[in-house]
Amino acid sequence: MAALLQHLTYQGIPVWRHSQVIQWTVQIVSGFLVVFLVAWFFLNIANAIDEREIPYGFGFLSREYQTPIGQHLIPYESSDTFLYAFGVAAVNTIVVSVVGVILATLLGIFMGVARLSGNWLVAKLALIYVEFFRNVPLLVQLFFWFYIVLSLPPVREGYAIAGRIYVNNAGISIPFPFSDGLGSAIAWLALAVAAVIGGAAVHRGLTQREVTTGVASYPIIGGLAVAVVVGAVAWLVIGLIDGAPFVVSVPAPQGAFGRISDGFTMSGGMLALLIGLVIYTSSFIAEIVRAGIQSVGRGQIEAARALGLSPMSTLRQVTFPQAMRVIIPPLISQFLNLTKNSSLAGAIGYSDLTNVAKTMTQTAPAVSIFIMIMAAYLAMSLSYSLIGNLYNRRIRIAGN
Amino acid sequence: MTTANEPAVSSALTPPRSETGVVGWLRTNLFSTWYNSALTLIVGVIAVLALVFGLRWVLVQANWLVISTLGGQLFIGQYNIEAACPGQNCFWRPQASLLLVTILFGMAWGVAGGGITKRIALIVVVVLALLAFLPYSFETMGLDVRLLLMANIPAMFLGLALARYTRLGTASGVTIFGVVAFFLTLVLLRGLPGVPGLQPVSVVYWGGLMLNLLLAVAGIVISFPIGIALALGRRSRLPVVKLLCVAFIEVFRGVPLITLLFMSQVLVPLAFPENFHPNSLLRAAIVITLFSAAYMAENIRGGLQALHPGQAEAARALGLPGWQTMLLISLPQAIRNVIPAIVGQFIALFKDTSLVYIIGMLDVVEISRAFIQGNPEFLASAREVFIFLAFVFWIFTYGMSYVSARIERHMGVGER
Repeated sequence: MAALLQHLTYQGIPVWRHSQVIQWTVQIVSGFLVVFLVAWFFLNIANAIDEREIPYGFGFLSREYQTPIGQHLIPYESSDTFLYAFGVAAVNTIVVSVVGVILATLLGIFMGVARLSGNWLVAKLALIYVEFFRNVPLLVQLFFWFYIVLSLPPVREGYAIAGRIYVNNAGISIPFPFSDGLGSAIAWLALAVAAVIGGAAVHRGLTQREVTTGVASYPIIGGLAVAVVVGAVAWLVIGLIDGAPFVVSVPAPQGAFGRISDGFTMSGGMLALLIGLVIYTSSFIAEIVRAGIQSVGRGQIEAARALGLSPMSTLRQVTFPQAMRVIIPPLISQFLNLTKNSSLAGAIGYSDLTNVAKTMTQTAPAVSIFIMIMAAYLAMSLSYSLIGNLYNRRIRIAGN
Repeated sequence: MTTANEPAVSSALTPPRSETGVVGWLRTNLFSTWYNSALTLIVGVIAVLALVFGLRWVLVQANWLVISTLGGQLFIGQYNIEAACPGQNCFWRPQASLLLVTILFGMAWGVAGGGITKRIALIVVVVLALLAFLPYSFETMGLDVRLLLMANIPAMFLGLALARYTRLGTASGVTIFGVVAFFLTLVLLRGLPGVPGLQPVSVVYWGGLMLNLLLAVAGIVISFPIGIALALGRRSRLPVVKLLCVAFIEVFRGVPLITLLFMSQVLVPLAFPENFHPNSLLRAAIVITLFSAAYMAENIRGGLQALHPGQAEAARALGLPGWQTMLLISLPQAIRNVIPAIVGQFIALFKDTSLVYIIGMLDVVEISRAFIQGNPEFLASAREVFIFLAFVFWIFTYGMSYVSARIERHMGVGER
């Protein structure tokens, strides 16, 4: 036996001591194990499907879903297909995630700056805010807000703010722009985007002129004027040809039960979800912003003050641009967290991706649903990462 | 030698009264400029109003009856209901497990020799013992329950004595006792078939804070080594190992935990043969652990990346083999550098244990919500319930971050 082992050499070294042989063995064995495990799972699943005659594959996607969806932000009927219902749920998740990200960032920056305020009272209150909201499970906070909404007066006795906004236990109804003709709306939106880009270009050009020549050129006024004028002219022209691109629909109580019609009604679940997500995430963002601002050298701020910049200008033009480099990467991961946390919506009755997928598994193959939901979340994660990385590249120090 | 430039009288003038003491502090911190004064006044009025109304709500308006009605369910869920434990009172089993934990606290105090460990141990047992004096009737909360709660004080001193006077009084001794206590707890709670007094209790009935803590402790302890292994795998030079680790980490980080938990419920019965179906508790523990391990791996990888390559090179130059370099030189420094992130991950894991509602487990949040839903007379008290739960979770999580800050200071994170 020992004699036999002596011949097991590679490049003159016994194989069990040859690092390359060991490495390759480890890789082949681990790879084989994982492949074996996955294959075993799939075989079991295939067996279970055969035995219990569960449908499989993606054929179900063109079938009618036949199940109502609580709140849908795009039109939906029970007779729509599974694929479309999945899209409706995805839109629900995306809208909450995007609106939540914007609001949480604003609130988080505000709280992060407040944490560093020279005013003792403001700094301490911001500290309490951060330490409380980030240490309590999101689920508890969501339930809290949800039951607050539920404890509001019923629709008939609900609050009306200035006859435009209605708050009651069904949620909140606000005026919202709707369009009658889709063509004119898209045309105006395209022109409006062009107007904003034009305005930005004018702003940039005027700033350039001001910096190089020293002649006051009012870049902000100029840029805004171009954007507003182009947008308004486009509105008027489209309005004359094809009717106004958007009409603001104002909510109003109707009928004997005072049901709110028109406007945009945000259900109690969506409202509680947004409030909960925004407050929870903003407490994390506040800490990121604080750390970012503190990472900027003291000398930078002192130099800015010595040059005569006001505290506000110092923050806006000296501290923040530099802090951004530290802030962006963890901020992006908070955006991802917010998106993933929106999957708690099911607990408070908002039809997000996970919640609808959960209902779908009762009538559709679970494996297919699982693959679809993974792909959907992965796509959202990747898009946030992409936007974040692009922005990060722009603000990076040149040559780094 | 003095020069003419220096003042003849050396006693410096004291700063003006308005710049020192309380007045000076107020001036610099609250009323430095006119807008700061305005800010202080406005925010101060709002804060005082919020405090007054908040206190009035807590003391007068809020109806805390719902919390006392929930009572023991908050701690153990449905563990003691008739269906879980027919013909017996099983309350003593979670309580006995609790005693094991207090012994562990006492031992930790004995090993650490005072300081923060002592204070935490004392606070925990005093709070537990005080629970014995809750003003319930003796039918609702029996004498045995009260006595077992008070037994936590001697239990802690037993642990202290064990640490001081036996050979268990080392860090490894406490660790071994902790592992033994964990498995003893599981046996106590699950029961042993055929042993009188220890009849099996299905995990379906486990719940309340007990479930949150069990899942969190198991998740924290097990996810840590798995996370280290994944981090090392991701940095490995072996392409297959690296690919597998990256795939695992990114899949688990890319999908919400709640989706994973739910899918485990749907897919696991399909993916495993019928004679091996892990129960809901085990499934939840596995998913939470793996999910946490993926995040842990990224934290530790960050620590390893931040390490200066000179450390590993020096170790190799001294002749340490690769695995010793990693285990004795790189990893300890890397982990020390990312303690804040790791503790943050543990806190997140503890908060995430409330998500097991999706697979029908009655943790402390879900049992409270189910109680409100099932008893419409308490629907108006939902606010009280969730504020109370927020407070309970906050004590645990804030305690964890406080201890972490102490450990960081002790280890000199960010100083060396």
